[in-house]
Amino acid sequence: MKVSRLFQRTMFGIFFLFLLIGVSTSVVSIYSVDLHLTSEYEENSRDIAKTIADASVDIILNRDLSSLQSLIDQFIEIQGISYIYIVNDTDEYLAHTFVPGIPEEILESERRVGETVTRNLAGMGDFVEVSSYILAGHVGSVHIGMDVSHVSLAIQQAIGNQIYLIAIIFFVGIFASIWFVSFAAKPINALLDYAVTLAKRESEEGSSETDERVLTRNDEVGHLARLFQYFSTVSDPDKLEQPSDVPSKE
Amino acid sequence: MAQLTRRQLTQGVLASTAIVPWRAFASDLVGQATTVPSGTLTDSGVTDSQIVLGVSTAFKGPSRGLGIELYRGAVSYFAHVNDQGGVHGRRIVLKLRNDGYQPVPAVENSVKLIVDDKVFALFGYVGTPTVTRVLPVLKKFQDRDFLLFFPFTGAQPQRQPPYDEFAFNLRASYKQETAGLVDNLMAIGRERIAVFYQADAYGRSGWAGVRAALKEHNTKLVGEATYRRGEQYTAVMRAQVERLKKVNPDAVICIGSYAACAAFARDAIDNGLEIPIANLSFVGSENLLKKLTDEFGSESERYSRWLVNSQVVPSYEDLSMASISEYADLMQRYDPTPPPEFEEHDYVPFAKSFTSLEGFLNAKLMTEILVRAGPSPSRALLEDAVFSIQNHDLGIGEQVHFSPERRQGLDQVYYTIVDNNRFVGLTDWKAKFAV
Repeated sequence: MKVSRLFQRTMFGIFFLFLLIGVSTSVVSIYSVDLHLTSEYEENSRDIAKTIADASVDIILNRDLSSLQSLIDQFIEIQGISYIYIVNDTDEYLAHTFVPGIPEEILESERRVGETVTRNLAGMGDFVEVSSYILAGHVGSVHIGMDVSHVSLAIQQAIGNQIYLIAIIFFVGIFASIWFVSFAAKPINALLDYAVTLAKRESEEGSSETDERVLTRNDEVGHLARLFQYFSTVSDPDKLEQPSDVPSKE
Repeated sequence: MAQLTRRQLTQGVLASTAIVPWRAFASDLVGQATTVPSGTLTDSGVTDSQIVLGVSTAFKGPSRGLGIELYRGAVSYFAHVNDQGGVHGRRIVLKLRNDGYQPVPAVENSVKLIVDDKVFALFGYVGTPTVTRVLPVLKKFQDRDFLLFFPFTGAQPQRQPPYDEFAFNLRASYKQETAGLVDNLMAIGRERIAVFYQADAYGRSGWAGVRAALKEHNTKLVGEATYRRGEQYTAVMRAQVERLKKVNPDAVICIGSYAACAAFARDAIDNGLEIPIANLSFVGSENLLKKLTDEFGSESERYSRWLVNSQVVPSYEDLSMASISEYADLMQRYDPTPPPEFEEHDYVPFAKSFTSLEGFLNAKLMTEILVRAGPSPSRALLEDAVFSIQNHDLGIGEQVHFSPERRQGLDQVYYTIVDNNRFVGLTDWKAKFAV
């Protein structure tokens, strides 16, 4: 497939434009998805913490701790939530989901209810912890840990899908542009061939089929071909008259 | 191969003796669709010939030993009752469903038993995480007056508001078991008590019981370690043992299943934590001991010597008690197999066990309640039949009585240790476990 040099530059331009769009879109998306997903996870976890806190009041005050454990066991099944623990107003652990036990990092940490806390738990990984007071802190607080790697995985999946889509569009675009450029370059090449033929004075021996196709085109290539033919039949440039079908500049 | 031989022998014995009707009854008892035609069942779960009780329990999975043995004990008594002509001419039929000791299947099974199977009452459930989640189902269908009888759990949710009105318990509570263990350990100077427990409602129930009992002694838990429900004996409990070793406990109270508790006992002793390891009745003592003896044979004494298990029924070896003697007789006579539709051939039932004895006593009291419900039993009046039981002799040396304020039949807790690969009563804590 012969592609004119002029169009080769256009193709490289398209390639770099795609690359620029792909990279910039991915960077913006990673930032945006990261921000939104993290925010959404935190928000959902806060809502869950609040729900557990609201439901815990009656259980802690009137019922037994197995009901409290049963309550948090239902929420730990939600994807993304890695641990839940509930402490009372004297910081005693009333229920939790840790195995083989409550990590030292949590036992030793200062309770910061209402804040988002980042934790690195030995042997478990990195977590973002949100919390909510139970009865304004008079009964205790609920703490929920989200696995950061789970959020990262969700982000990677979202970005991966986007990059996959952009890559497909990119390759389809490249092949499509090559085809379109080749298609557009075809009459130019034919015109070039025709011009070369004229220059060699071979046209005197009669027009070939290709020459006829170029001369009968109703576009700029056709006009140029006929103009070349006109130039070739006039020996004295002073006698030149503009052919009736040659478009004026305006 | 040994299992097959045993089965063939059992069938041969049953077929060649007067117990033949039991085989016909056995398939009837498990309540398959063929034996409980839907067209003959009324909404009340009672027909002219049957009273259908719904059972959701662990017939499969790591805790199947509990569900199967509880079922076998109950079936041995119901079979006897049916052979005697049933209750007011009606056979007692069990509609069985397996939940594998998992909460979600337990909830689904309960809804099916209530809505689709239209059983008369729910009976013989196993486990705290399962029962805790089933209680709201009973609340949901409270207009149909469904009651849950004698679940195999000592947890509090079905013993206190708002769900106590939907259940009746026979066994003592975990609160009573843990309080007894703590009191006895404290009395012999083992004051630094830690817990190893299942990370769920069952474990938390026992944990809370130990915590409350220690509070009575003005002290606290010195440490704790957990494991996930469903752990097998092959699980490594070294991380849990290391956590507990750090706090240097005098004793560990385990609130778990037999597979996990056996694994913990194994790893604790292997890693130098040679202190009393107490287990609650739910553990299924024989199943726990079998795990250790299967692996270590005669060397298992090294591990089992530290075990002390609380029980909520007397020793099945004490034939001086009327119901224990009857239990031994009926278990031998009927030797119930696990339900055929849930049977896994690698499970070998125990001739006798604390769990099957509890199932037997559950069935005996359930039968008494059905008798008192009269010839036209209805769910709405079933509670009155239960409350009519006052100072009833169940044949184990402890009177049973119920009232609107008392929905638990027994309070006695027994303590056992291992001697010659079997559980025997512990009478002298000081001689056995003093510091």
